[in-house]
Amino acid sequence: MYQYDTVDRQMLADRTAEFRGQVARRLSGELTEDQFKRLRLMNGLYLQLHAYMLRVAVPYGSLNPTQMRKLAWIGRTYDKGYGHFTTRTNLQFHWIRLKDAPDILDHLATVDMHAIQTSGNCIRNVTADPYAGATAEEVDDPRVWAEALRQWSTFHPEFSLLPRKFKFAITAAPKDRTAARVHDIGLVLRRARDGALGFEVIVGGGMGRTPYIGPTIREFLPANRLMSYMEAILRVYNRHGRRDNNYKARIKILVAALGTEEFTRQVEAEWAKIGDSVDLPDTELARIRGAFTRTGFETLPARSEVFEAAKASNPALARFARNNLKPHKKPGYAIVEISLKGIGETPGDATSEQMEAVADLAERYGQDDIRVTHEQNLVLPHVKLDDVAAVWAGLHAAGIATPNINLVSDIIACPGLDYCALANARAIPIAQHIAEKFRDPDRAEKVGELKIKISGCINACGHHHVGHIGILGVDKKGEEFYQLTLGGSGAEDAALGSSLGPALPYEKVADAVDTLVDVYLRERQDGERFLDTFRRTGVTPFKEAVYADAH
Amino acid sequence: MKALTANRLTDGDVVFWKDGQWVERFADAQLWADDDPAAVEAEGHGKAQGTTVIDVYLIDLIESEGFWAPLSYRERIRALGPTNHPHHGKQAEGGAVVEALQHAHGAARSTGRVNLIKRK
Amino acid sequence: MPTLIELKDTLARTVDDPFTHVADGDDLATGDVIVSLTRFQADGERLLSEGRRVGVRVAAGEEVEALAYDLPRLSVVALDFPKNLDGRAFSNARLLRERYGYRGEVRAVGDVLREYAAFMVRCGFDAFEPADGASANEWQAATGRYRHVYQRSADDRSPAFVERQG
Ligand code: SF4
Repeated sequence: MYQYDTVDRQMLADRTAEFRGQVARRLSGELTEDQFKRLRLMNGLYLQLHAYMLRVAVPYGSLNPTQMRKLAWIGRTYDKGYGHFTTRTNLQFHWIRLKDAPDILDHLATVDMHAIQTSGNCIRNVTADPYAGATAEEVDDPRVWAEALRQWSTFHPEFSLLPRKFKFAITAAPKDRTAARVHDIGLVLRRARDGALGFEVIVGGGMGRTPYIGPTIREFLPANRLMSYMEAILRVYNRHGRRDNNYKARIKILVAALGTEEFTRQVEAEWAKIGDSVDLPDTELARIRGAFTRTGFETLPARSEVFEAAKASNPALARFARNNLKPHKKPGYAIVEISLKGIGETPGDATSEQMEAVADLAERYGQDDIRVTHEQNLVLPHVKLDDVAAVWAGLHAAGIATPNINLVSDIIACPGLDYCALANARAIPIAQHIAEKFRDPDRAEKVGELKIKISGCINACGHHHVGHIGILGVDKKGEEFYQLTLGGSGAEDAALGSSLGPALPYEKVADAVDTLVDVYLRERQDGERFLDTFRRTGVTPFKEAVYADAH
Repeated sequence: MKALTANRLTDGDVVFWKDGQWVERFADAQLWADDDPAAVEAEGHGKAQGTTVIDVYLIDLIESEGFWAPLSYRERIRALGPTNHPHHGKQAEGGAVVEALQHAHGAARSTGRVNLIKRK
Repeated sequence: MPTLIELKDTLARTVDDPFTHVADGDDLATGDVIVSLTRFQADGERLLSEGRRVGVRVAAGEEVEALAYDLPRLSVVALDFPKNLDGRAFSNARLLRERYGYRGEVRAVGDVLREYAAFMVRCGFDAFEPADGASANEWQAATGRYRHVYQRSADDRSPAFVERQG
């Protein structure tokens, strides 16, 4: 993992000192709320329904055990003993006091963490493939570039008052676990025929009120020119993005208005003028790369007899292995996904005890490496097959061995009306009701991969547009209603969902999902996922079934 | 009926106006008839207290099981706490008013700010 | 008249403003003036020929490219920050310094707030009309708060990746 040096640490120290002063000026009345609001937002501190919420950055979703323990400790000391992992792979504390916030930021800084640029119209936390450094699929380690982007974008003087917030995703694998095509910029690392490393650059995807799948504006950008090219894109956006209407201010609107070709032309023209002075020298790239090079792998057989025997005698472990284990690039290792979607629990929530359990397991069995996924789960990317049974036992004891990764109960949900000041409707209880319907793990496994994503309003923090089943909370004559969409995908086959029909009331949503799944099970052909069946049949059979009783 | 609510500056806690003070329980909140000018007056006083509270606004109430409850779902959740964690927030304390809020029927508007609701 | 803070060699001090801001409809007064881009395009030649020093106020939506050929004759380019945290002037400032090599004064006008002072300096501003009543001392504290920077910009600070090479 990347280790902060003096420079990185002093940046944090300067920032927390500044914020402490600002909070003091607010509490003394020197600053009004209007003046202070943007300052606290620059430090990830929002006011929500019940209290302040502090959004802590987890850069490219990467944590070490010490950091995880500190988050657990903060949750216990300053919150109600838990934290909420978000679809930006950040961690939110929902019950924070303003007067505690400077102390919390100081505590975070002791483990090289912060809340910088987790809010505001600036470049936000970069999403990276949670399997980075562990999957055999990737052509390079995307964290190297994510860390380079983190530094470049932190306190960027020119791009700190953009028209709107700005989000990057970066992956180096053909299987996209970052939703790169629905980000402001999606970067996909590729190798050219001659072996040279470069990026496919996707710009102007997004969700929210006007969702777009982003177009590719460059098939191959030489990797070492990344920073200057990003600077060119951001400059074109900073100068020409709309500032008259918040809903039209994201870069996707600019790209769509200019057309991909003209937008690309402007970026390339700007890039040609910028030159390479802002690009990182190879020495710095090598320094960053060195931090991610992992040498601790043992030479192991691909098959672990210990593990096979454990599975044979423990069906729960076998089920966990079927659903939560992913192939590792090294023989004898596995990627272990930890579901934060226990049936009946709040998606993405982890108690302080659970965080500590994960930290312990990562330390003992996982080479000190923990990842957060944009699907609100955690990952131990490097676990020996020999140790999986012990990891499972630890997770089981902590109540987080739910074997449902990518299954129907592995639901993304934003905080919604239970916490969020912008919400139209609740999201969490909807997720809980749906998960209850699939409590029987046999049934859930039979259904197979099915991604349900729920947002409490059109801001789409719950990524509903790209859910195989998307659920959007709307306010219909003052009541909680839910608009269902089908057929979305945030993966490499990115697509926006299409509407199922009229919005449904709160009580009807879980049943409707149940019906949708029944239709799929009836219609599906060999090996089809829900998404495949939907793409083949179209919306009609689903629509007929859900709205049958309305006729 | 109406009540006046805000969030306390230092900790963000939801508070309600009562005779010139901010109290934490909705059950203790001062209530005004819809046309009582004292409500708007209190709102003015509340808004002037910039180092005590933020986000001061009046909310509409409806009758529920013999008690008054916020008209909007959003305001009920503010008065109670999140529905996914029944032991978090004000609802943890229990009591008749809390129960009435939890069972309140009616319009359940998701935005309860008086001025944001378009009246027909 | 707004306070003018000048920054030279990382020292901020309050100075008397020799320039008069002249609005589009107003009389061109006497002495050194700052006029809008539109006005400059109409009256610039005359003003310069009168021997006055001339500055141009560039709105956030205007682009400094329009001044490319006039820059050597301009004493001040005043870049406007409209309300609602509009950062277009940051790009304009960098272009003036980095692309056009402009050496005159680049002044921040409009909604100029100390929280963004350090960014302004990094983008090449060296004069400021604070809208938040900040004193020269406060301004200097705000610009000097961060000991390091991560990226190259229009100032001459070494980014972290250069510092690290020792
Ligand atoms: S989608 Fe809406 S309700 Fe959900 S977290 Fe985002 S802003 Fe809040």
